[in-house]
Amino acid sequence: MKTALNRLQSWEGFLLCALIFIILLNVNLSPQFLSFSNFINLFQLSIEKVIVALVMTFVIINAEIDLSVGSMMGLSACTFGWLVQGGVPGGFVILTCLIIGVAGGALNGWFVTKVGLPSLVVTLATLIGFRGLARVLVEDRGINEFPEWFDALGQQGFVGSIPFAIIAFFILFAVLYIVLQRSGFGRKTYVIGTNREVADYAGINTSRHKMILFIASGLVSAFAGLLYAARVGAVRGDVALGFELDIITIVLLGGVSIFGGTGTLFGTLLAILIVLSLRNGMALINITGHIQTGVIGLLLIGSVIAPRIHLISIWRRLKGERL
Amino acid sequence: MPQPVLRMNSISKHFGMTKALSNMSITLEASEVHAIVGENGAGKSTIIKIMTGIHQPTSGKIEVDGKTRKITGPQAAREAGIAAIYQEPMVFPDLDVAENIFISDNSTGVLVHPAEQRKRARALIERIGIKLDPSRIASGLTLAEQQAVEIARALSQDVRVLIMDEPTASLSAHEAEQLRKIAQNLAGQGVAVVYISHRLEEIFEISDRVTVIRDGRHISTKPIAKVTSDGMITEMVGRDFGKYFAKTASTAQDEVILEVRNLTLDGVFEDISFDLHRGEVLCMAGLVGARRTDVALAIFGVIPPTSGSIKFKGQTTKFTNPRTAIEAGIAYVSEDRRKLGLAMPMAIKSNVSMATLDSFLSPLGLLKREKEGKVARHFIDSLNIRTPDVETPVGMLSGGNQQKVMLAKWLNLNPDLFIFDEPTRGIDIGAKAEVHDLIRSIAAKGGAALLISSDLPEVLAMGDRILVMREGHQMSIVKHSEATQETVMMHATGQRQEAI
Repeated sequence: MKTALNRLQSWEGFLLCALIFIILLNVNLSPQFLSFSNFINLFQLSIEKVIVALVMTFVIINAEIDLSVGSMMGLSACTFGWLVQGGVPGGFVILTCLIIGVAGGALNGWFVTKVGLPSLVVTLATLIGFRGLARVLVEDRGINEFPEWFDALGQQGFVGSIPFAIIAFFILFAVLYIVLQRSGFGRKTYVIGTNREVADYAGINTSRHKMILFIASGLVSAFAGLLYAARVGAVRGDVALGFELDIITIVLLGGVSIFGGTGTLFGTLLAILIVLSLRNGMALINITGHIQTGVIGLLLIGSVIAPRIHLISIWRRLKGERL
Repeated sequence: MPQPVLRMNSISKHFGMTKALSNMSITLEASEVHAIVGENGAGKSTIIKIMTGIHQPTSGKIEVDGKTRKITGPQAAREAGIAAIYQEPMVFPDLDVAENIFISDNSTGVLVHPAEQRKRARALIERIGIKLDPSRIASGLTLAEQQAVEIARALSQDVRVLIMDEPTASLSAHEAEQLRKIAQNLAGQGVAVVYISHRLEEIFEISDRVTVIRDGRHISTKPIAKVTSDGMITEMVGRDFGKYFAKTASTAQDEVILEVRNLTLDGVFEDISFDLHRGEVLCMAGLVGARRTDVALAIFGVIPPTSGSIKFKGQTTKFTNPRTAIEAGIAYVSEDRRKLGLAMPMAIKSNVSMATLDSFLSPLGLLKREKEGKVARHFIDSLNIRTPDVETPVGMLSGGNQQKVMLAKWLNLNPDLFIFDEPTRGIDIGAKAEVHDLIRSIAAKGGAALLISSDLPEVLAMGDRILVMREGHQMSIVKHSEATQETVMMHATGQRQEAI
């Protein structure tokens, strides 16, 4: 009973209440909201971002940041288009794109762990660098002659009417949830994010851990870039431009502290559902995209302030209950 | 009879169900050094927090100069002339020394005159009696120097009651001596000094009156002349601690587990050579700046030495990071719990399992959370850690209990060599005795302990041999049978060498 109450007091509890409220509003506006097909549409429109948000949750809990994810999505998508246009077989191209993701992530990780630069600076540089490469490959003319099976993967149902990307999202969520909340790797993610020196002195290989996370971030971004290319059926040099901000917004809204050490993958999932339903609801009552973005921005400010209020109450209790 | 400066009248403070203070009455006279002693958790911190306005009492009242006064916050406390300095200094790392001292000083108006400020800072620093350039940036200062900045900050305000909470815990013997003089000076100038310390010999040296508290209650207030060390300890803990300082027989075996030869780190320490046997406790004594911690970190792989050799369990080793040292069987219990020892916001059990996480994993890499809880509960029982449960964040525990959690983290590794760096600094005498027993039992079971300590009675009580360092040099290794406070101090201060 006590733990259930504690959970409700937590940020996740608040998100859950907010989500239920938004869903009820949406259902009130349109009974179609809860239909299966609407649910799939809702997800499909932002699927690439929410997939990357799952890995970004790890990166930020680890007290790092990866700003280059949007550019990596673009680079991967453009590499795909460029090579396919050049007549290279699709399966081989996909493999190449994923390898580029791994290499890009390793590059970020190398600068952060071996050179010792802050990830904010490193990934800001690669944000520009990866985007530049993408634009060199494809420029602004656009490529849309993809293999049929590739377009089908992005645009049609994979299992029944559920597209491949949504299935991939939920499988990835299940696996990463276990990794973060139940495994030794997840525990290390929290320990390093809380205090890297303490982790070092306890014999945890913090450099390798960070390297793995940056590589994972690059790999999943490259994967998401391919999903984008498949869903839209065309690529241009500005594919996924600015996606990193939406992705980081979702993660922070989910209660992950920008200073690392706290947050859960469940919180990220709730934040994803909230942002998606909110956008959907606002679209239903004809609120334009720009205002939608403004509302999400307000939500983010709220999410930064609210845990802080919560922290203050924890701090008061902490001072009061010193044993 | 002159008016007391401050009087706490039947103060009680409850936190939910916990009674931190019950009916506490303390009177502070002008020109006295008033020591408050008690175990950790006895309520000393709560008294300080009420005096400085951080907490409000549940009942009872505070009188300043005979008038009832509500101290609603730190600002109100400052206006009433009450200031406090703490064991862990609070400085702004990016500001220089002078700016830190005058951080809340508005007397110069909107514009700050750096030269003038430095001049005033220099005068205050001279009163403390140390050398410190007022233009140095605070982040580069040692703990002792940061402490000095805090004292200067308190001095810069017109203090009538100065609370010193464990001020010497992180200072060298020489610096501590100077600080005690400052405390007495201030008392001579009419300030009421509240002095809190775990070093009993300090209390006898400088205080005029001693108040003993236990479990949030006032036990006694007596002039220092009427107090004995044994009597005070008995009042503090409610039990007899007569054999606390007694040295037990050495359990050292023949096998050498650690062989250090000519270990040198350029510009930091040089030519450190010693053997450490199984079952032995080797103490490293010295003043702050003797570079004992650096030697420990070199052995632990944090800072690889420039030259010299380390043989561990018969094998020449070159650890390049703590991980390899831990895998070989070395544990380093840091002196800095907050920065290097514990993940404060995380649960006790997560901290206990931290250094041995791999042993809590299933073949798939999943955490065995039940085992983790069981191990943590085992240490809570065996080390007598006071906590509601294993999920409590360590940051919520008292210093002594935090220290025990950190020990549990390394005990679970079951290492062959323990390096303890100031393991009893700032913890109460009961917990201290428990830590000493623990170190002895580690040695008795065939482990080896390298114990860095600035507490001379501790060094003499624990060390089978004592290695004394001074400014990066090994001065001598003294056998326990030949060690006295005087010989160790002479080596540590370099007087012995000059005599030769």
